[in-house]
Amino acid sequence: MPVKSKVRTHRAVSPWLFLLPGLAIVAAFSLYPFLTTLGKAFTDARTLAPGRWTGLENFRDMLQDEQFWVALRNSALYVVLVVPFTVLLPLLLALLVQKQLPGVAFFRSAFYTPVVASVVVVALIWVWMLDDRGLVNGLLQLFGAGPVDFLGSSWLLLFSAMALTVWKGLGYYMVVYLAALANVPRELHEAAAVDGAGALRRFVSITVPAVRPTMVLVGALSSVAAFKVFSEVYLMAGPTGGPAGQDTTLVMLVQRTGTGLNGRTGYSSALSLVVFAVTLVLMLLVLRADRREERV
Amino acid sequence: MSASRRAVPAAAVLLASALMLAACGSGGGGGGSDADGKVAGSITFQTWNLRANFKGYFDGLVKEFEQAHPGVTVRWLDRPAENYAEKLGADAAGGTLPDVVNVSPDLAYPLAKAGLLVDLDREKTSAAFKGEYTPEAWKGNELPGLGGTYAFPWYLNTGPLFYNKELFQRAGLDPGKPPKSYAELFDCADRISRQSDGRIATLASSPTIEDFGRYGVRLTDDDATAFTYNEPKGVELLTRYRELYRNGGLDPQALNSTPERAGQKFLEQKVAINPGSAHDLGTFKQNAPSLYRNLGITDAPNNTGKPNMYVMGLAVGQHSKHKAAAIAFAHFVTDRKNQEEFAHKVAVFPSTKGSLEDPYWTRDDGTDEGRVRVASAKMLKGAVNYTPVVMSDEMKTILKNEVAKALQGKKSPQQALDDAVAQSNKLLKQS
Amino acid sequence: MRHRMPGWEKVLRYLLMLAVLAVAVGPFVWQLSTSLKGTTEDIYTSPPRFLPAHPTLHNYAEVADIIPVWDYALNSLKVAVASVLTNLVGASMAGYALARLRFRGRRVAGLAFVMALLVPVESVLVAQFTMVRDLHLNNTLTAVVLPGSVGALNVLLMRNAFAALPYETEEAAVIDGANVWQRFVRIALPSVRGTLAVVAIFAFMGAWDDFLWPLVVLSDPDRFTLTVGLNFLHGTFQQNPRLVAAGTVIAVAPLLAMFACLQRYFFRGVGEGAVKG
Repeated sequence: MPVKSKVRTHRAVSPWLFLLPGLAIVAAFSLYPFLTTLGKAFTDARTLAPGRWTGLENFRDMLQDEQFWVALRNSALYVVLVVPFTVLLPLLLALLVQKQLPGVAFFRSAFYTPVVASVVVVALIWVWMLDDRGLVNGLLQLFGAGPVDFLGSSWLLLFSAMALTVWKGLGYYMVVYLAALANVPRELHEAAAVDGAGALRRFVSITVPAVRPTMVLVGALSSVAAFKVFSEVYLMAGPTGGPAGQDTTLVMLVQRTGTGLNGRTGYSSALSLVVFAVTLVLMLLVLRADRREERV
Repeated sequence: MSASRRAVPAAAVLLASALMLAACGSGGGGGGSDADGKVAGSITFQTWNLRANFKGYFDGLVKEFEQAHPGVTVRWLDRPAENYAEKLGADAAGGTLPDVVNVSPDLAYPLAKAGLLVDLDREKTSAAFKGEYTPEAWKGNELPGLGGTYAFPWYLNTGPLFYNKELFQRAGLDPGKPPKSYAELFDCADRISRQSDGRIATLASSPTIEDFGRYGVRLTDDDATAFTYNEPKGVELLTRYRELYRNGGLDPQALNSTPERAGQKFLEQKVAINPGSAHDLGTFKQNAPSLYRNLGITDAPNNTGKPNMYVMGLAVGQHSKHKAAAIAFAHFVTDRKNQEEFAHKVAVFPSTKGSLEDPYWTRDDGTDEGRVRVASAKMLKGAVNYTPVVMSDEMKTILKNEVAKALQGKKSPQQALDDAVAQSNKLLKQS
Repeated sequence: MRHRMPGWEKVLRYLLMLAVLAVAVGPFVWQLSTSLKGTTEDIYTSPPRFLPAHPTLHNYAEVADIIPVWDYALNSLKVAVASVLTNLVGASMAGYALARLRFRGRRVAGLAFVMALLVPVESVLVAQFTMVRDLHLNNTLTAVVLPGSVGALNVLLMRNAFAALPYETEEAAVIDGANVWQRFVRIALPSVRGTLAVVAIFAFMGAWDDFLWPLVVLSDPDRFTLTVGLNFLHGTFQQNPRLVAAGTVIAVAPLLAMFACLQRYFFRGVGEGAVKG
């Protein structure tokens, strides 16, 4: 956050008027409902029964729940392995389509298609491609590699789902970067080019510093999204979470325990609370790392 | 961490406002009307994904009923396939459950348990209709531990087993002699995987609770308070499946497959056998004509002599403001004439007494559809709904994942089933 | 102005773009192709066939036959347009206050949006429904719009955009005696057109694609949005993947069109606007 002095406001009321619509909506439809969820995390509530106060019982159950640890591991791995790609690849892609070349507008729109395509359909097609007789194995066999059982191994399934997440996020974050790159004054690049700086040097010393706030934002957003991953794994590994449930993620567990008319709302809310706490810490870590770097 | 310290007052403000909001929230719904009252008022009727193909039929039903009962208006609401339980849950929690609602026994159970559905045995007006349905169907809607019936039986379904004759032939098996029992099924699977060097599997999904049921395993105790499928017979079935998996008779992706994905493997002709239902024929004909030419149809393997059936019902909301009208309408939709008419439109079966003796369900008219229809109708006599109504989706997931561990060899079949039963019983006790 | 791009670089760029193109649109083209396949064509061959043997628009006609596509699309359009407007107004105002105004409680307000971003949607569904019912809005399109009418992410995007503006641009206006509102409307907003376009797209997309919420909040099939209505194509008794594919193409096409229209705004972005403004 810039340290420069803010433009002074004369009346203290107007900032809150500016904030009112946004805050009202967010408080009524996210924060307040979530607080009621929080309350349920300490009860044995079910979908159709309010439940009794049980204190930390749900959290004690969680520690003994083998599925919880598997899910926590998978969600954490998702952040570690997916985020570096979702921060860097879309930036490179944005740089690729930023230049005004003939037809580039077409490419920009085309690269956005994975974002708008339905994840259900996309996952189905990926499963098709990764099948033992699918396109990917066909290509592998051309190079003499044996068929790889992508869909039968819990690790390969998880990695495939990660690839899908990265792929589907490319266009989305590309758009965010494109908007940010438009802020980088062209003169900077031109001056550097005149100085004889190579493409890589210009990328590191001009582009990256200029879009750094956006990279931080994308990093924060994509780590939160990665930790909360649901659809990709649910669709590729199946609703039971891959072979023997080894691909279950935390939000999948929230869904599995909490939905339906028999849902264990209490336990599921306790899991949601964990998800919320971890993502909050992730977000604060990213933002803090950013601030510290800025001071240096 | 400075940010988190600042978060404390923010959280306090939010908490305070939340408490205020909660304080002025609304109370529970009203008590509902008398079932013996006058058949009048405006009611809602919710079905599950039937609008796309049967709009004309339901519009006709509503019109006919409204003409016969001038004081009643019926609003038909159809829900799409996905997340039906979520909508029911939200409506149940918000007190906005429809007056007449399409449920399967596993959905009816939690709703009835929460006191949201009318006990049809208890209301004089509805109990009078009991004799119109087959005893099996009425029983299928009885809920254990709740002592009552909470839905009018509607359409039934049961599944034949489809097999790929060409794959049978290639393995040197007689395509005219499909397996009848589980023992024959396992033998046939061995043969197919040996002959194809493990490239063709016979089954595409690991055993479900229905398989355990058809194999003759006792699934729960008599009053459905505990699961018992870890008895020796259950272990025996799982042990056989484990051999099947090791020999390549079970598709490698069976451990986490869904019925849809298993069905797709069959459509792609990668597995030789798949359970299905009468209306799958249309899908095969349309989407995989080359498979359809080699399609064999038989009964699902069964050791008990009692096939599995699926039951749909129409329940009446306890808080309905026009209960008499709701009961009258639910009965009207499920009466013999209307059920038979519906079952002529799509390959499902009526649950009303005497319907299945109609020539339409007893005489083979020479078409594939006719053959499957007659065979399925025959199966329905004495069929049971094996899936225990107390078994929630989460418990099904637990079974599936423990079965997978046994198949992978990470646990013995006995251990896996013991664990699944223990976890499920724990959940059952909590509910 | 523009520096000359060497020929080899152009070639390299096009090659790269073509490679990404294949990966990006492949699945979508597959969907399109399936939706054009006739009923006589086997769609479960292995390996799959990429091009339809006899392309036909029959599936689209059938989709329109089964469900009132136009009515549903109109409902979706109303919801999406309303969401774009409320998000543009609400998010830019909140973002401006967070980035440009100094007042007590600014951090708390910012944190509220960050926390809202983190709330797992799955866990608040029933509470949201109860809230909407208490407002007597259940089964209305207004209720569909409300929860997403000011997205927390959009607020943060706008905050970032405003924060990146050079202070000089506004200082001049302060000296001229412009009040906060005038500075916001006349100077700040025109300078962040790029981000406004992003917010518009994200809001439109979010509203158009949302499935679970409209499904839960709407009871009356006449009021369904397109994504909910298209779910009717997943039949209870049989499913035709060609129809499902046609349905998805119908649902996705408007989004692509919208993106194609707006993407050029990213390049009339902040930097130029601020200098000129």
